[in-house]
Amino acid sequence: MKNNHRAPLPGYMAGLEPLSRRGFLRTTVLASAALTSGCASMFGRKDAPETLEYYSLKQDEIDVITRLTEVMLPTEQFGLPSSTTVVPTVRNIDNMAQRMPKQTRDLLGLGIWVFNNRPMMSFKFRQFTSLNDEKALAYVNAMQEGAFFERGLMTTLKALIALNYWRDERTWPGLEYHGPVTETWGVRRLGNAPLPRA
Amino acid sequence: MNQVKLQPSGLQVHQASDVTESHLALEADVVVVGSGAGGAVSAYELARQGKRVIVLEAGPYVPSQAFTEDFTESLHTLYQDQGGQANSSGDLLVLQGACVGGSTVVNGCVCFRTPDFILEDWQRDFGLSELTAEELAPYFDEVEQNLSVHDNGEHEIARHGQVIRQGANKLGWSVKPLRRNIRQCGLTGHCLSGCKTERKQSMLVTYLPWAQAYGAKIYADTRVEKILTVDGEASGVEAVVTRQDGSVVATMTVKAPRVVLAAGAVQTPVLLQKSGLANRSGQVGKNFACHPSLLVAGRYPQPIHPWRGAMLGVHVDEFMHPDKGGFVLEDGGFGLVEMTMLAEPGTGKPFMDYMADARYLAGLVTLIHDHNVGAIEWDGERKAINYQLSDADFPSMKRAIKAAARLHLASGASEVYVPASDKRVIRSEADIDEQVDSLENQPQHLRMVSYHPQGTCHMGADPDTSVVKANGETHDVPGLYVADASLLPTSIIVNPQITVYALATRIARHMS
Repeated sequence: MKNNHRAPLPGYMAGLEPLSRRGFLRTTVLASAALTSGCASMFGRKDAPETLEYYSLKQDEIDVITRLTEVMLPTEQFGLPSSTTVVPTVRNIDNMAQRMPKQTRDLLGLGIWVFNNRPMMSFKFRQFTSLNDEKALAYVNAMQEGAFFERGLMTTLKALIALNYWRDERTWPGLEYHGPVTETWGVRRLGNAPLPRA
Repeated sequence: MNQVKLQPSGLQVHQASDVTESHLALEADVVVVGSGAGGAVSAYELARQGKRVIVLEAGPYVPSQAFTEDFTESLHTLYQDQGGQANSSGDLLVLQGACVGGSTVVNGCVCFRTPDFILEDWQRDFGLSELTAEELAPYFDEVEQNLSVHDNGEHEIARHGQVIRQGANKLGWSVKPLRRNIRQCGLTGHCLSGCKTERKQSMLVTYLPWAQAYGAKIYADTRVEKILTVDGEASGVEAVVTRQDGSVVATMTVKAPRVVLAAGAVQTPVLLQKSGLANRSGQVGKNFACHPSLLVAGRYPQPIHPWRGAMLGVHVDEFMHPDKGGFVLEDGGFGLVEMTMLAEPGTGKPFMDYMADARYLAGLVTLIHDHNVGAIEWDGERKAINYQLSDADFPSMKRAIKAAARLHLASGASEVYVPASDKRVIRSEADIDEQVDSLENQPQHLRMVSYHPQGTCHMGADPDTSVVKANGETHDVPGLYVADASLLPTSIIVNPQITVYALATRIARHMS
């Protein structure tokens, strides 16, 4: 789908020309919606990443998300499971993308493309995926402090990644998060409340 | 009336999976659209009067034991638009329940009566002279008793509530235990994912089974598409029964001389707009307010574990009156998923530091008395929530953030995270003005959530400027009632569930 949008992306802000302001705003809304809607019923949380297959994300999208995950979640420094080699963060996002309606999926793809190809002079107009660690971090920070649509896009992509990493229960013990507890604790059900007294 | 028989647990609900015909034709004395706070109370009150009541709920029936305590998954199964309902610019998430029991299933149990000064505004500005504190008091008393509403006991004030209370006391601010509708709270901290052990006194375990005990019938997976009229009076509804993927299983008509709309302040006006009814005033869908709230997190030197214990413990009401600021602060627990979305601590190491410190965080929820500047619109294909925080309300929002920061610091926090799209951290009183005053009222600058949409079919005495009378009946269509938070003429600052329960009770009892 990205090719459908690439043709009319000639330059700087004009790169968003095919998206009306409202259309672009909808990108962030729908991506946010997808963020939440797609996260349910994730499967394969325990899969080893090397066995992963991707069903929705295209290779260039995988490259962008993987690189952003590396930049955003340097987990090993914190003694947490790796966000790329242990927890299948990008595959989780792929699962989410599989469940998206076509329009939402297309807009997510567009958002990823816009993020990676946002022309910034201070980065010599290079793509995000071609930057070293230091520059890549600066790129993200520049987007985060940019115009409203950049902030929205950045917020969405970062939330997408964070959510799909920390929803994996292997990340919880390091933070002392208990997750679901009712059955562990054996809390009994009370049933329906008695009828009010007349 | 048949014998009254209350099920000990769960509900008998007609679901899409039960449907074997392509069309269902039903009749009742009253059809209630929506099964949340307004719909469930209406159904019980009317069924108890001996009326044949049918409740239609667009969302699924999820019994309590099926709740997962996984917030992400719960967003998908229990919330409107799978948790993705947002305003048009995408910076305000509007979270509403979309299941049997509605938002009462997924709320934080907080109960406030409508503040007296709000009722006075309604009397003065909307001609609602009947809705006095004295008139409503018996209704409040009754619903509070029915729902086991009580001040949080000490054991229901978790660590995060305790530190906030200490800070408020240090500042000399009025701080009180929250009142909640819960029996023997299990202290799991998973309120927003539904109460698995039926302790939260949501409609799922109270008014709906009670209504059913009096003969009401409940249909889930059933989305009302149109309100029907005959000779200008309500005569029923048309609906579709849908599977989870949205495909239609069957169509349905319900003939009923009374129609009660209680689908919530977003869906109710959409239904009226689709039906082209009750809009002489042009106010259907207008007047939207929502208590845009922020979750301001503070980092403490000692472990807090914000996911442990009751989710909401205390509140600061020092600034509740509009003359004092027009906002409320509530201590709020949260889990990891919420944490990833509520602040912008930076990228890379700063973000990891923030998450690694999760156990040291406590949250404060800000609720402001926003003006009714938004609108719900239906363009023939999709709804739109057109709401931006008004410039008139932005100062209130900043005052609320400043107060939350001050309170965190007084409570012992070493860092306070401003919930903006850029990184803003407050470490001392001296930082507060600098970090907050430079916020701009621009799309995508604040991370707002609304749990309290309201006002889109508001009550009033004048049919030219309001949609509904004080008794809940629309000015334009006899027999067509509204009984949800759409009714509220102004935002009420506080959590609205008790207001809706009380108004719905009153409306049902005044129904001819």
